[in-house]
Amino acid sequence: MDRNSEKLDQLRTGRSELENHVIDEFLTGHISRREFLRRGSIVGISIPVLSGILAACGGANSSSSSSSSSSTAGSAPKAGGTLRIAGVVPAAAINPLTVADEGGLTMLCQTGEFLVFDDPTTFLVKPMLATSWKANGDGSVWTFTLRPNVKFSNGQTMTSKDVVYSFKQQSDPKNASNALSVFTGLLTPSGVSAPDDHTVEFKLEAPTGNFPWLISSDNYNMIIVPDGTDFSTWEKTFIGTGPFILTKYTAKVGATFHKNPNWWGGQVLPDTLQHIFYPTQQPQILALQSGSVDIVNLIVLQGAQAIFNNPDYNILVNHSSQHRQLSMRCDKAPFTDKRVRQAMALTLNRPEIIKALFQQYGQLGNDSPFAPIFPSTDKSVPQRHEDIAMAKQLMSDAGQSGGFSTDLYTEVYQEIPQYAQIIKQAGAQIGININLHVESQTAYYGKATYGNSDWLDGAMSLVDYGHRGVPNVFLNAPLTSAGTWNAAHFKNPTYDSLYKQYVAAVDLSTQRQLAGKIQRLLLDETPLIIAYFFDGLSATKKAVSGAVTTAMGQIFLSGAGTV
Amino acid sequence: MGLALITLWILSVIVFLAGQLLPGDPGRAILGPLAEQRAVTTLDHQLGVDKPLITQYWNWLTGILHGDLGTSYTYQQPIRPFITTALWNSLKLAAVAFLMCVPLAILAGVLAALNVGSWKDRSISVVGLSALALPEFVSGVFLAIIFGIWLNVLPLDATPPPGASPATVVYHLILPAIPLTLVLFGYIMRMARAGTVAALEADYTRTAVLKGLPRSTVVRRHVLRNSLLPTITVVATQVGYLIGGLVVVENMFHYQGIGALVFTAANSKDFPMLEAGVLTIGVVYLLATLVADISYTLLNPRLRLGGAE
Amino acid sequence: MNALPAAEAPAAGAIDAGAGQARRELLRELLHSKTFAVGGVIVAFWCFCAIFGYHIGPYGPFDQDLNSVNAAPSSAHWFGTDQLGRDVFSRVIAGARTVLVVSLVATLLGTVLGTILGLVTGYLRGWVDETISRFIDAVLSLPLIVTAILVIAALGPSNVTLTITIGLIFAPLIGRTVRTAVIQERELDYVTAARLRGENGVYIMFAELLPNVMAPVMVEFTVRLGYAIFTAATLSFLNFGIQLPTPDWGLDISQNFSEITAGYWWEVLFPAAAIATLVIGINLVADAVEGVLDR
Repeated sequence: MDRNSEKLDQLRTGRSELENHVIDEFLTGHISRREFLRRGSIVGISIPVLSGILAACGGANSSSSSSSSSSTAGSAPKAGGTLRIAGVVPAAAINPLTVADEGGLTMLCQTGEFLVFDDPTTFLVKPMLATSWKANGDGSVWTFTLRPNVKFSNGQTMTSKDVVYSFKQQSDPKNASNALSVFTGLLTPSGVSAPDDHTVEFKLEAPTGNFPWLISSDNYNMIIVPDGTDFSTWEKTFIGTGPFILTKYTAKVGATFHKNPNWWGGQVLPDTLQHIFYPTQQPQILALQSGSVDIVNLIVLQGAQAIFNNPDYNILVNHSSQHRQLSMRCDKAPFTDKRVRQAMALTLNRPEIIKALFQQYGQLGNDSPFAPIFPSTDKSVPQRHEDIAMAKQLMSDAGQSGGFSTDLYTEVYQEIPQYAQIIKQAGAQIGININLHVESQTAYYGKATYGNSDWLDGAMSLVDYGHRGVPNVFLNAPLTSAGTWNAAHFKNPTYDSLYKQYVAAVDLSTQRQLAGKIQRLLLDETPLIIAYFFDGLSATKKAVSGAVTTAMGQIFLSGAGTV
Repeated sequence: MGLALITLWILSVIVFLAGQLLPGDPGRAILGPLAEQRAVTTLDHQLGVDKPLITQYWNWLTGILHGDLGTSYTYQQPIRPFITTALWNSLKLAAVAFLMCVPLAILAGVLAALNVGSWKDRSISVVGLSALALPEFVSGVFLAIIFGIWLNVLPLDATPPPGASPATVVYHLILPAIPLTLVLFGYIMRMARAGTVAALEADYTRTAVLKGLPRSTVVRRHVLRNSLLPTITVVATQVGYLIGGLVVVENMFHYQGIGALVFTAANSKDFPMLEAGVLTIGVVYLLATLVADISYTLLNPRLRLGGAE
Repeated sequence: MNALPAAEAPAAGAIDAGAGQARRELLRELLHSKTFAVGGVIVAFWCFCAIFGYHIGPYGPFDQDLNSVNAAPSSAHWFGTDQLGRDVFSRVIAGARTVLVVSLVATLLGTVLGTILGLVTGYLRGWVDETISRFIDAVLSLPLIVTAILVIAALGPSNVTLTITIGLIFAPLIGRTVRTAVIQERELDYVTAARLRGENGVYIMFAELLPNVMAPVMVEFTVRLGYAIFTAATLSFLNFGIQLPTPDWGLDISQNFSEITAGYWWEVLFPAAAIATLVIGINLVADAVEGVLDR
């Protein structure tokens, strides 16, 4: 790298400790250009400064034009008209506090917006309702500057009061908000304050370098609503700051939106959005094929093969960290012996499973939640492959050469029943006779507390985990000794301390070093089998372009239309 | 009528108790597996599901008597609009099924009766018997593959795009309606055949023949009139049966009717919705049976005359 | 008030009974004997499959081949393969077992309970009869499938629950028919004589009345068996029955039905055809039995 030191110094002046740390990591070659952009945007370095630094380090021109929306098919979409979107029926009322399902979170982001946007195509966090943000030295206090002149759909101007209200409500344990899964131990209502009308300050319970991630669109509940909003009746108005305004919402049936002429982001292309809810995927595919919808938001391969192999449709692909965890009870014989758990993990032919269930839309998992998309993932950890001879050896070493019978509990959801059957056949190869219990989701989760839930109590349990931008949630609840979703009943002090260090680590190289340790530990202990990660997929008609989707089910259509 | 009310009351108790046995926890079902336990407990308290059973039942019953079906756990909205929409959808589907099936079935039954013992009679009987015996989802599979996939002439999706014309609505309902129709077809066809056979052998028919009237006139004036009335009456009793078939067909073709509503409510432990849905089905069934009973009694003397021993 | 159409045919019964012409009876019997033969062969074939089906298929019903999933019918796989690369033909052959076992046991259970119910209500009459009949009316005012969903949703799906549920729902249906027969019988001399001899109620019901109502019980059994298959397959299709990966026609159809839009029709067509043949076979047999015993 030929560096322009003078320019660099200039750009570095006034940067916080955290920001300078990221710049150092980049300069010393610890992180790549792409990861520098990603990390830099998280800690609050603005895009012009980031590209300035890249320019100062030489040859930056190519970097800023990273991949655009995957759906863009050459020419630009036209303004006007109606877009019809097939989605799933929201599982419950559209209450920003409690929404926890695909259908519901899709609805939230039609009119609701976030402080920062997690761009699924570039993996960068971008300004949305906040224009810039800054952390103090250790990442324990974060200050966000709000975008001026943003208006809610009821005409009111957004101020820091509204943002503070939204955050206080979402982080209040009394409200049982879904966002507590992120905020517990991180943010309480008293930590949110507004120094002035355009600034919001967060004092965290524990420092983290990832805070903007955690309140970005990734945290799908965290839309900004007007001060004093009654969340339980939000469904009637959908008041937000976004590019669209609610026309009509009918539970179980669908919703229509019209464009917001005063949107801060400029022109909104579609005049109208028509969301139509379907109970399952099959009618969505049929509707796309018959031309009665333009977009199917989030589809899985099973049953949609006809769309995937047809040039009349675009498939929007978002690599993601969504996966399935097959847990084995580490506290119950015979899975108390880690050799038995390892043996089970060795029976799976992962590439074959991915091909059968996802074709090319899946990535190998290595029995830890560190997905290939996470920058902190240590890719030098050796991949586990099918090895029946080794598995049999391990079984006999563990005194289980005769095999045993056990029970696997799981849910009816997407490809899981098929995957469970594959697991059963795989286990049979080394004498593990697995009885499947494929249950409705309500029955499987039960009360979701230990002793009252097939999910958490089963000897083996196969559960779904949706996409997260950072692995923190995956590493905590399902794996730490005190974790609330620890279906494997895995209790390992070394792991617990590694986890704590990982979360507190502010710079990427430390994170990656700790990730490597965690990955190796989990591979050895094998409390969980994670055979694959798979992409978030959506489909549109060939003529539709500009739709931005996320692996979680959000869809942003302000710039979408027919070519 | 009084008996029907007692029946309904017993039904409400049975459904209520069955609802209590459903696995899972209402608060948990609403908030999802990831919610905190204290939030679930709070919500359970708000919903009143931590109160004694008898209190819960009483609250619910008094609500119903005041026309309040309660609030859905899942959607946290009043249940009534869901039930009316679903019932209306199901009625549309049932109407299409009835209109397709009844005329054809009666025609086939009369044709078989006029040719008792011939190959026509036998083949119609065998077809009717098979139609009657096939579960709806089995005939549904055949029809979906033949008309939806191979010939690609009927939409597999029972729900038309929003704002569709009535003709399109009916077009989308044809495929799901046929499996419902088939079972009814077999039944009504048998009824029509038996009724016509009996009428053909009745005294008034013989008298007419003896009077020298042409066969076609006899059939038109005496036989059809006397055989079809009871058949049509009995068709009314099938409304309740049709609703049972709707559960399967609506799930299969993803149609948001009362059957799909009950099925979904049972799976998501939306107990107030389940109870309201099941009771609605019970009421519709009892009403239909009542209507059928009354008209049957009115027409019965003549029938007995025809089939006297 | 019956949940199933053919069993309830108030008019048909009256008409059939009244229209007993010798010529027609003869023709009918001829027809019946043929139907019995055809039905018998079909049912026997599936019974054979139910016993030996796991071993006579070209592949094991559980054997997966993840490298040839959703393969169309070919000489290697006559009925194609499913989404896990399992041989559909082998699974159809093996799938006869669950549905036959469930419906047979359920029908037996329903017949035994129903007969007891019918004997007790028909013989005792009075308030016992009134109470039980009201209760039965309430249960029967729901379509069978809806009742089953309620019960199975409450108890959790399994083949045992499925069997017991169908049996319990059938019991009052059968009980009603038996009750009608018992009410006719109890006025006859031999019952009065037994009562005068001082026999107790249980003896009269089971030693005197039962043998004399066996004909309707037999008819009920065969007719109900057809409905049991209908119901068991339907509930299995609604995922209320046996667990994956057991080969089961209803379950296999529900697992693969959403794939027909991708063109994989063979995964559901053949199991559906299997159910169709079995159900029709049983009904042919039942029809013949009914015809003979009714005379």
